[in-house]
Amino acid sequence: MREPDFNDLAVRLVHSGIAPRHAHRTVNEIRDHYDDLVDAAVDQGASSREARLRAARELGRIDDLVAEMSARRELKTWAFRYPRAAIVVYPLACLAVLPVAPIYAGLANMPLLARWGASLLAAGLFTAALLLVLQLSILFG
Amino acid sequence: MAKSNPPFMSGVPELLLLRLLDRREMYGYELVRSIKEATGEAISLGEGVIYPVLHSLERNGSLKARRKPVGGRTRVYYSLTQQGRGRLQDLQDDWRRIQNGIETALESPGHA
Repeated sequence: MREPDFNDLAVRLVHSGIAPRHAHRTVNEIRDHYDDLVDAAVDQGASSREARLRAARELGRIDDLVAEMSARRELKTWAFRYPRAAIVVYPLACLAVLPVAPIYAGLANMPLLARWGASLLAAGLFTAALLLVLQLSILFG
Repeated sequence: MAKSNPPFMSGVPELLLLRLLDRREMYGYELVRSIKEATGEAISLGEGVIYPVLHSLERNGSLKARRKPVGGRTRVYYSLTQQGRGRLQDLQDDWRRIQNGIETALESPGHA
């Protein structure tokens, strides 16, 4: 049996709809479990290669773990549990968020926006003062 | 994972995990070893199979998980909640009821 591909396991769990926090934690736990099995086999006198093969065998097939996780609806993301609702809710949520996004961005960058506004006001006042001086010089010059 | 027990064992891993965690908090590898030890290896779970069960039990509030650094690794330790104790009690009651029913059926030759 080959050594388990933990990156592939993570990708497959996420693709099957498992919530990322469960998927990533499962992969970390399985990886630690595998390391414990390898350590135990080495302690029993197995060579490094033999220990890895034995650990992979005891851990079992990645396909079976993915199937076991996928069968548990409660571990899936909201969109995978209620796909029809997600088709309706997600576009509506996007439509609601789009107009709010610039306002939120403005609030989040308030000091920057205030400096930009103050600079614009100063520039406007300066230009107006120049135009006034010009106008006055034309009138009374 | 390596499936060494027939389908009627469904629900047994849950019962065993809750029972073991009622004594003290444990992490996955430790739990698998404890199940083998506690059942005299009569029940041999596929090693990876316990993680989906643990996550489901955590999701329904029967268990809580916490990370704990041990020997350079971060282990996820599981412990039983109050809700989990209730769930364990229910499962034990169910199991004993089924066990009694089967024993009764086996002891009466006319019905078995």
